[in-house]
Amino acid sequence: MTTVNDNTSEYITNSSSSSAGLKSLITVIILICVCISGFISRLFSIIRFESVIHEFDPWFNYRSTVYMTDNGFYNFLNWFDDLAWYPLGRIVGGTVFPGLMVTSGTIHWFFHMINIPIHIREICVFLAPVFSGLTALATYLLTKELWSKRAGLFAAAFIAIAPGYSSRSVAGSYDNEAIAIFALIFTYYLWIRSIKTGSIFWSSCTALSYFYMVSAWGGYVFIINLIPVHVGFLLLLGRYSLRLYVSYSIFYILGLILSMQIPFVGFQPVRTSEHMIAAGIFILLQAYTFFDYLYNKLRYVRNIETIFFNLSIIISIIVFAIVVLLTYTGYIAPWSGRFYSLWDTSYAAKHIPIIISVSEHQPTTWTSFFFDLHLLICLYPVGAWFCVKDLNDERVFILLYAVFASYFAGVMIRLMLTLTPCVCILAAIALSKTLDYYADAESSEMVSNYDDSVSICDEVENDENNQYLDNNAQNIDETDDNDDDQNFLTSNIKIIVVTCIAMMLLLFIVHCTWITATAYSSPSIVLVSYNSDGTRAIVDDYREAYYWLRQNTPEKARIMSWWDYGYQIAGMSNRTVLVDNNTWNNSHIALVGKAMASNETEAYKIMTMLDVDYILVIFGGVIGFSGDDINKFLWMVRIAEGEHPKDIKENNYFNDNKEYRVDKSGSPILFNCLMYKLCYYRFGELYTDSAQPSGFDRTRSVEIGHKNFDLEHVEEAYTSANWIVRIYRVKKLSNRFQAKDALEKLTSSLSEESFEKNDGKGVILNKPHVKKGTKKSMRRT
Amino acid sequence: LFDLIIKRVKTMEGLYRLPFNVVQCPNLKLKKPSWIRKPSNTMVLFGLLVSYFLVTAGVIYDIIVEPPSVGSTTDEYGHHKPVAFMAWRINGQYIMEGLAAAFMFTLGGLGFILLDQTNKPNMPRLNRVLMILCSFIFILVAYCATKIFIRIKMPSYLT
Repeated sequence: MTTVNDNTSEYITNSSSSSAGLKSLITVIILICVCISGFISRLFSIIRFESVIHEFDPWFNYRSTVYMTDNGFYNFLNWFDDLAWYPLGRIVGGTVFPGLMVTSGTIHWFFHMINIPIHIREICVFLAPVFSGLTALATYLLTKELWSKRAGLFAAAFIAIAPGYSSRSVAGSYDNEAIAIFALIFTYYLWIRSIKTGSIFWSSCTALSYFYMVSAWGGYVFIINLIPVHVGFLLLLGRYSLRLYVSYSIFYILGLILSMQIPFVGFQPVRTSEHMIAAGIFILLQAYTFFDYLYNKLRYVRNIETIFFNLSIIISIIVFAIVVLLTYTGYIAPWSGRFYSLWDTSYAAKHIPIIISVSEHQPTTWTSFFFDLHLLICLYPVGAWFCVKDLNDERVFILLYAVFASYFAGVMIRLMLTLTPCVCILAAIALSKTLDYYADAESSEMVSNYDDSVSICDEVENDENNQYLDNNAQNIDETDDNDDDQNFLTSNIKIIVVTCIAMMLLLFIVHCTWITATAYSSPSIVLVSYNSDGTRAIVDDYREAYYWLRQNTPEKARIMSWWDYGYQIAGMSNRTVLVDNNTWNNSHIALVGKAMASNETEAYKIMTMLDVDYILVIFGGVIGFSGDDINKFLWMVRIAEGEHPKDIKENNYFNDNKEYRVDKSGSPILFNCLMYKLCYYRFGELYTDSAQPSGFDRTRSVEIGHKNFDLEHVEEAYTSANWIVRIYRVKKLSNRFQAKDALEKLTSSLSEESFEKNDGKGVILNKPHVKKGTKKSMRRT
Repeated sequence: LFDLIIKRVKTMEGLYRLPFNVVQCPNLKLKKPSWIRKPSNTMVLFGLLVSYFLVTAGVIYDIIVEPPSVGSTTDEYGHHKPVAFMAWRINGQYIMEGLAAAFMFTLGGLGFILLDQTNKPNMPRLNRVLMILCSFIFILVAYCATKIFIRIKMPSYLT
């Protein structure tokens, strides 16, 4: 593990082999502790509740994994899911990233093969904490390549507990990011390694790891754009070398072919703008290498450098123009909405309201930065500065990563996740360089030699180092006379500095653990409230209602709900849903939104057209739960308005003061819409608070305006214990529709008065009226 | 003509020289513009800190959501009092509070950079002591201020 240089062989005493062994032992122990701590700090929700899959998206992943373990891999790839998006269905094999399911399936198969029968649910729940340990190892390897092993250990410790990463990888959060961050950092480590060595082996390994990343997450676009940008910057900075050419060419070609093996990705790498930067840089690199080869052959020609430099620029302009032309003519698809909204942040608000309605896609505030990164925020620019000072090929990479990740994290809260590894690495570099000087109690002013010999020997602890460096320091440090008291002063200051840094790191650990425990460990499917004496009240309404659905509805029943709950309903109740979290069909979602926002008759027409049997709404007014459908209702209206602007207008649901309220001042259209009626049916008779009148909504803190109404086309099927989930059954049409006043209408149109009004002519109901056209000459005036 | 070519092209080198028998290199005077220079280290550090300041202040959030600069509450006498921090909302901020927090973060970063600058060789003792003192003060101030900000914003922090 230690790369001993020839220069330092004189300093190595006989105890070197045992101390080298000691160093690797300490490294291994520290890394094991880091993995264990990362695993344990993510287990809060398991300890508090039970091992259950959290949130919304993981339920779909879990259901797919169960399907795969039951039916085999090829049936999973060809699976057409008819339980979702009724009546359209969903081609799961072609619209999902299979890496997560394949990983859990492999682990499951392996354990069953050695006769440890673990249930697939346990594997899915604990997959993310296990992979966080692997991520820490990958970060250690990456930072070791970038700086030194000591910085690597710091980086591994930071990423194991950093809240920015653990928020998306707690136990139970069975989502793509759990394995994708590991694949990301590991691919970057292999890329840096292949740039440093220029060997075909490492480049092929990078391509294989990139293949794993493509199978795991849609964020692989980040890799396939960052690596070409890195290559481009190296060319710009004049750091071209044959290693760069070999590594990028092999990585690009192999990575391209491998990434197209995933059915979901298909031919996108050659047909969409997101992958064009990689292709363009590839062509540019071939041209640059060709010019470099010619340059080596034609040195004697005058001005050959400027000619080739300008030729490279011309080639890049030509490639760019070709790409633009192909995009313009339609052969290459333009940037998709998800990625385009990162550049033009107002695009999603105007055109795709679904993207902006997700709370994770909002821009980031300073509190998110602080909560997710704490101490590392201060160390992050310091580490970047240190990398700028000693620039080499791989540090250009980490700087580019830092710049782009910072910008993206500022745009979207969800992308704080991609920023966290970069922050951990740079903060570790900063801390390591600082402690390199201050944690060593011996040397005072000979900093540069110290740094060289330490980096050559690759120490872990400084104590064993002293016996070698005593020789080094004493040989050089000979002439300072007032050294003694200066040494004393400096060594005191060093101890103070090291103590302060240790205290800050302790505070960092406290913060990380507290944040993970309180903010990021809630399973969302089980809610907790704490009474005034500290006892817990667990609200398990979701699971109660979904299980009722599973046991009391026919197997082919169709459930209509807002898309947030689609995956959970399909996963826990095993029933057909209309729309779910995949949100691939905006028009279908808009139909559901229109049904929720229209009055009962209109909604009934839509529901019969869509063949709906049950409706499920979430209502938080009884216990004060603020994530319910009434709070989300405006988003339903906006999405419906996007597709049906004539029928649904958002302003109709505001009162006269342009406010969205459900009390007496609310708008009548709001009171008559299906969502209001379903949520507040029979709520007017309920007393939620003894001090308030009946029908007091505790979430909005108002008394509702419209009580005591009846439902015409639906009937209540089930309401959970705290009224959070309310399920209604859609009634079939009665045998004959009675218009209430049909007879009066008919007789009034045939009565004497109307007869007289029409000049004695009879009247035909619904007669079309003919409008006489005007002559052309008259129209011109 | 073919024999001429074969005669001249005795080696691969000759093949490369072949076009230059027909075409003459133009006497171009192309130069990289002199104002494109690699930026100095201080400029890079300055740019880094400024961009970092803007990003962590949540400037992108300010541009998109356009919150007010400070909030306001009315007390019991009807006077409007400014509110610096939007309390209890992690995903909302006022412009001033974002800038203040980002300033604290940058101050902490500067403190650590100074801490590293102190160990350059051949520095007078006064400078060294002053620099270490400065960096201590920066880091402490940054930490305490950030702690106070978070306590104002979320009173249940670390309880």
